[in-house]
Amino acid sequence: MLTRTLAWVLAATFPSSGDLPGLDSLDVRPSLRQLQREAAPVFALGLYGSTGAFLLCPLLTVGWPLPAFLLPRRVLDRHAHAMAGHRFYLVRQAMLMIKTVGAALWGAHPAVRSQLGLAAYEPDPGTFRGDHVVPQTPRSAPQPAEIQP
Amino acid sequence: MTATARPGAHLAYREGSPLALEADYIVVGSGSGGSPAALVLARAGYSVALLEAGPWRDADDYPATMLGVMRDLFPNWGATVAVGNSILPIVQAQLVGGGTVINSAIMVRTPGDVVASWASDHGLGDVLNPGNMGPALDRIESELHVADSLEDTGAARFGGSNQRLLDGLRAGGLSAHPTRRNVRGCQGQSRCLQGCRLGAKQSSNIGWIPEVLSLGGTVLSCAPVQRVQIVDGRAVGVQGRFRHPQTRRAGARFIVRARRGVLLAASATGTAPLLQRSGVRSPALGRFWRAHPGAGIIGVYPDVIDMYEGVTQGTASIHHRGEHGLKLESLALPLELVAGRTSGGGKQLTARLGDIRHQAMWISAVRAEAVGTVRQGRLGGVRVAYEPTRRDLERLRLGSALLARTHFAQGASRVRPGVVGLPFEIGPDEVHLLEQAPLHNRAWTWVLSHLFGGAVLGADPNTSVVAPDLHVRGVRDLHVVDASALPTTLGVNPQHTIMAVAWIIADRLANDDRTRTKSASKRD
Repeated sequence: MLTRTLAWVLAATFPSSGDLPGLDSLDVRPSLRQLQREAAPVFALGLYGSTGAFLLCPLLTVGWPLPAFLLPRRVLDRHAHAMAGHRFYLVRQAMLMIKTVGAALWGAHPAVRSQLGLAAYEPDPGTFRGDHVVPQTPRSAPQPAEIQP
Repeated sequence: MTATARPGAHLAYREGSPLALEADYIVVGSGSGGSPAALVLARAGYSVALLEAGPWRDADDYPATMLGVMRDLFPNWGATVAVGNSILPIVQAQLVGGGTVINSAIMVRTPGDVVASWASDHGLGDVLNPGNMGPALDRIESELHVADSLEDTGAARFGGSNQRLLDGLRAGGLSAHPTRRNVRGCQGQSRCLQGCRLGAKQSSNIGWIPEVLSLGGTVLSCAPVQRVQIVDGRAVGVQGRFRHPQTRRAGARFIVRARRGVLLAASATGTAPLLQRSGVRSPALGRFWRAHPGAGIIGVYPDVIDMYEGVTQGTASIHHRGEHGLKLESLALPLELVAGRTSGGGKQLTARLGDIRHQAMWISAVRAEAVGTVRQGRLGGVRVAYEPTRRDLERLRLGSALLARTHFAQGASRVRPGVVGLPFEIGPDEVHLLEQAPLHNRAWTWVLSHLFGGAVLGADPNTSVVAPDLHVRGVRDLHVVDASALPTTLGVNPQHTIMAVAWIIADRLANDDRTRTKSASKRD
């Protein structure tokens, strides 16, 4: 449910436009699920709070007293645009958070990058180095005292 | 149980029984401050334990996407912010090598006026002066292969955005130059922020830290230090608990004992809170926190620019550093970050990104006069309070307008200021709108990347945490060797200066120790 809601809000923020695919036509749910699993708590809190703000703010942005998911398509698009430039700073900040995550998914998608003529990204390995021991080498480097005038 | 670590061991995340180690010196943090300090001490023959909160990632481990960067390289997924009358994101890295892994490898020698002001205004003439800064900067340049980015990369790979800024500023009568960077064979892939997968960037994790290991040092990664152990007014060790970099699960506890001293280099957002958690009391602790906030401006050109083909930050100008405290630079920001920063939402936003290959981003960074604080937060994080002043905003506005004019002079058809209250795009005859842009932090998309202070070095006990004898006031054998110790901003990229200051402090500690040991031997 949460993943679907997030995906829907992100798709409303980065919808298809002309030839450029948007998050409404791309499946980013696996990446979203991974994000939900791994995101730092403070980051996740900001994202969920911002998603809630997106859903509840149409009255402030387009004057419709409805949650965003009940807005007609065209009004929803106006709502997304208006949130980004709203006069209330916190509303803009909420949208910035959504855009940060949406942009990270949209801008990394191979279909988007291909359409824009950008090279596709390699997968993120998500790996790190475990224990290891480096063989000792004889000290050949000059001693740091040598830099003293 | 206390054991000496096997020489040359890197110990990563682990669970189970506590780990206890002992070393001559402990260095907390492995970025541009911690890594040279550890290296100098290791070369001087001391055993060193280098502790890093993040994991050790090699070039093959680096992420490609911004989501991967947030997850794998940034602390808290990049959610560290400074809060004042606006929210300013702070760009930092948390892995072995710290910021040296994700920065644009820019190396700028410490300006002479900065060193002079440290002596005259902060009583540091005996500690940091042209006589020791110069040789240290030289030595670091030589070891890290610092070179002119245009010469290193070659004109073909320098990048269109970099070249246009260079040409544009020079045509406008301003001094500008290709950046000098610590790279070797850069291919101009504009992926410094993700970590250099080619290994061209000479970040600490591929050079200095492996050398620390080869000299018998020990590196603990995934090892955030909780507190410094202080006994009878002397720093005797550190303690903490391993943390898994992906799951954040707490692992085994660790205790590292220091025979000779503890050097802190946990970053300008980490060192002061660590001192606070350790019970250090000082009226200056957490204060005098400064930054170079910056903001970008995008020019849209009729022809293809492809800012992602070239050096990430190839051109810089400090022409206005003295008078206006401004630093101007090119910056190839990944598409994902441009998309997040482009104003608007919905179909308009997506459509606005269709011309990404025609965009060139240039930034103004301000040597801000604002002063903030950094504190340990109640919920475990850190709290940074910081608010650029009206004067800082005026400078940013000036720099942005100058860059907009330069874009137009170089052939841009439109400029995207990214300022709330201004049109999404302005034309060549509308730069005056930018010159009159709102002077409010909430209207601008500031980002903080160069951070200073919180545990500064100085002669006055009311305004400094670290005394000129290099010890944290009231605690023997506890030292600060990162940007936290710098008492002022620089107005240039700080990496080189931080390295040099850490180098000099560690070198002095090593020499003082040798002198003490010789004196004791003679007495015996």
